[in-house]
Amino acid sequence: MKIEIHTVVNGRELDAAVKPNQTLLEWLRDDLQLRGSKEGCGVGVCGSCTVLVDGRAVSSCLMLASNAEGKDVRTIEGLAQGDELDPVQRAFLEQQAFQCGYCTSGMIMATKALLSSNPQPTEDEARDYLSGNICRCGTYKEVLAAIKSLAEKSPEGT
Amino acid sequence: MSGLGENFPRVDGPAKLRGWAQFTADVEMPGMVYAKVLRSSYPHARLTRVDGSQAKKLPGVVAVLTRDDLKGMNAYFGPVVKDQPVVALDRVRYVGDIIAAVAAEEKDIAEEALELIAVDYEPLAAVFDPAQAMKPGAPILHTESARSETRLDRAQFRFEKNSNVLSVYHAEQGDVAVGFKAADEIFEDVYSSQKIQHGHIEPHAALAYWEPGGKLVIYTSTQNPSSIRAQLAELFDLPQSKVRVIVPYVGGGYGGKVHPRLEPLTAALARQAHRPVQWVLTREEVFLTAHCHASVVKIKTGVTRDGTIVARQVEGIYDTGAYALTGPSTTKNGGEVAGGPYRIAHQDLTTYCVYTNTPPTGPYRGFGVPQVCWAYESQMDDIARRLGIDPLALRLKNLVQEGDMFVTGDKLVSVGIADCLKGAAEAVGWKGKEEQRSREPSGKARGKGLAVMIKTTMTPSNSAALVRLNADGSAVLLTSSVEIGQGTQTSLAQIVAQELGISPERVSVTFPDTDVTPFDQSTSSSRTVFTMGGAARQAAEQVRRQLLEIGANVLEADVEDLELVEGNMQVKGAPEKKKSISQLFQARYGAAVGSMAASYDNQTSGGVDPRTGKGKASAFFFLSACAAEVEVDTETGKVTIERVVSAVDAGKAVNPRQCHMQNEGSMIMSLGSALFEEMVFDNGQPINSTFLEYMPPSMEDHPRRFESVLVETPHPEGPFGAKGVGEAALGPVEPAIGNAVANALGGLRLRDLPLRPDRVVAGLRLVNGESV
Repeated sequence: MKIEIHTVVNGRELDAAVKPNQTLLEWLRDDLQLRGSKEGCGVGVCGSCTVLVDGRAVSSCLMLASNAEGKDVRTIEGLAQGDELDPVQRAFLEQQAFQCGYCTSGMIMATKALLSSNPQPTEDEARDYLSGNICRCGTYKEVLAAIKSLAEKSPEGT
Repeated sequence: MSGLGENFPRVDGPAKLRGWAQFTADVEMPGMVYAKVLRSSYPHARLTRVDGSQAKKLPGVVAVLTRDDLKGMNAYFGPVVKDQPVVALDRVRYVGDIIAAVAAEEKDIAEEALELIAVDYEPLAAVFDPAQAMKPGAPILHTESARSETRLDRAQFRFEKNSNVLSVYHAEQGDVAVGFKAADEIFEDVYSSQKIQHGHIEPHAALAYWEPGGKLVIYTSTQNPSSIRAQLAELFDLPQSKVRVIVPYVGGGYGGKVHPRLEPLTAALARQAHRPVQWVLTREEVFLTAHCHASVVKIKTGVTRDGTIVARQVEGIYDTGAYALTGPSTTKNGGEVAGGPYRIAHQDLTTYCVYTNTPPTGPYRGFGVPQVCWAYESQMDDIARRLGIDPLALRLKNLVQEGDMFVTGDKLVSVGIADCLKGAAEAVGWKGKEEQRSREPSGKARGKGLAVMIKTTMTPSNSAALVRLNADGSAVLLTSSVEIGQGTQTSLAQIVAQELGISPERVSVTFPDTDVTPFDQSTSSSRTVFTMGGAARQAAEQVRRQLLEIGANVLEADVEDLELVEGNMQVKGAPEKKKSISQLFQARYGAAVGSMAASYDNQTSGGVDPRTGKGKASAFFFLSACAAEVEVDTETGKVTIERVVSAVDAGKAVNPRQCHMQNEGSMIMSLGSALFEEMVFDNGQPINSTFLEYMPPSMEDHPRRFESVLVETPHPEGPFGAKGVGEAALGPVEPAIGNAVANALGGLRLRDLPLRPDRVVAGLRLVNGESV
């Protein structure tokens, strides 16, 4: 049995049939071959599968693909415009805010969500918001530096 | 320009930031099927029946593999002793031991098929505590002779027979009886450390297929492709040239992906399925696949009143779990440095590698050293307190120095440990003896602590590199070193570029593919920059010589008068007299085409004699220090790390930013194991095998003040003086935190890791004479 859904992924409208027990992460990775989102824990606590659904950060390993009906989904693959990196990607590159890179997609998407709701987070706000994104390589200092640089560049900056 | 010693940007950045970087689980083959495995629910049991016939009938199932399906192959594998079967044969030895595997068209079908496999168990007595496992009468895990066949540095181990003690390391120096007699004070304590999971965010993954004609190809998330190739070749009686191991990006390893884990079973299942088989572990399965050796370390130290350590006796028990993996190496590694980085005339060091009915272990960042470092550095502060000596001064008084003969018989070179310790102490604002002043622990108490560490690297070991310089002045480094996040592709590119006088941007570094890239023992033991970097430098040096000889002809100059600068060969002092690399190719070959190549096998020699524990234990030594400042809530027992500073002797930092990030990663990992990380079992049943219950440190645990210090004491055998840094910062973090807690709480010493709030509270109640 499959469920028909209509959704938008990285700006592209899609009509798709998904399995009732298929997670959004499985659908993105297996069916759409968007493999930048990673499964780390499978229980929604490590953050490596974070994607944006209607602009909000979501653990795609916990959300059913069928619940993407009518939603706008954005993954790491949908951030850069051709050669033009998203400002968050650029900040991560400049601060070298990655090591093994497995958590990086989720970390960037979570940062994206944070900044869209709070363009100038304090360090405490950033730590709190990103505490659900685990980096075992321990690159937190650099991620915080990237967020700080983005907050300072924000047009709402003082 | 060449960037050695500079923060050259990581070459893997663009791929990783776009989600483009390919990890093993992202690789797909046409016709690929999915593996799932059936695991034991008993910690120790005889298998009286394993029947997969019903599972085979389920539509969508392509293959079922049980002990009956291992025909035409060897059943056992293991990097030191072959004690681990591809699937369980006569019995299972831990909860999670693999009994059977299924390959199916869809993951759901594979899961469903597992339920159709019939298994009858006859439970056996199990043992979970390594000290109990050493006692006579304990249930024996491995009685058969399967563990006789060995490889790697087997010659270095003293193996035991028909016992749960797999191996013993022992070394002596002087006579501890004499030493203890000369001592004014003797300290005798027992320390313990827990089982820790590596927590690499990428779970283990492998994808195997067999080419018609019998060649095995496997993509795998491993730290050592050459070991996987060798062991698969032995399992399937293939020449190594018929096993091809390809390693894409690896999403963290920290030791958890060293040596075969998923590869033997994935390959066996693919052989049976006649299809490519992908096997990716769930997080819960990762917890059943590898972890850090828990330990019990007894330490007895004799000191004179002036603070000289005169004798030390250490007995360490390492819980290696149900299978050996690198247990004997880990245990030896811990034993060699169990006395610490100190000049001690009389030493007696023993470590035991012991089987228990718990998941297998293997290497974990620090490789057996944090366990003994926790003991000797915690005790060091107790010594300082009782003698009334500043812990910093006590350490500096006893530290090893340049040129010292270490207990293993090694002559120590590149010994920047005093600078590491002084650097860390200064950064944390260490105030000397008053840091240990007695105080009544109440409210929120603050304290600072120090610790140092010495560690060996895998010795002997081998790394080969091939450098190919193209006619356009760009170069390729062929290497089997794995990019596990440490930035190896960047630092190796910098080393090659430095030698060839070109920009690192013009150097490409391969991913491991054993059909193409030369042998490398392992991306572990923080050995890549030293050993592979050394090989790459030597290979590049040979290419440079070829170029110089051409240049000498073309520029009519002596080789000694030539230099390579920014892709040009020029006469020293007369830079207007120069030729580009492509002009040199043109001159030599009549056209600017082709390439010049050279390879180099870098073999570090040495090893220890298992009878004495001595020899050349290490090609180089890691030396580091840590300083920590904590706040302890005396009501709740919660420890907060206010500040942590790590200082590591890098020899020469090839890429300082990457070195700092390795240090930071080590610090964060070990503050997790210092304070809260702990795998918990109930009669062998794992209790907390998800990230919900076992949480690695998050950004909220990241200390506000967090600093890495690099000391550079060039090593004569390292490329440009470089040593390794990957694990160096890790060891001293736990005891530095433990010492900070003790100093905050008026000397309250907690000897069991992690320093959980309940342990802190229980300790405070004992001090206050309350019942716990």
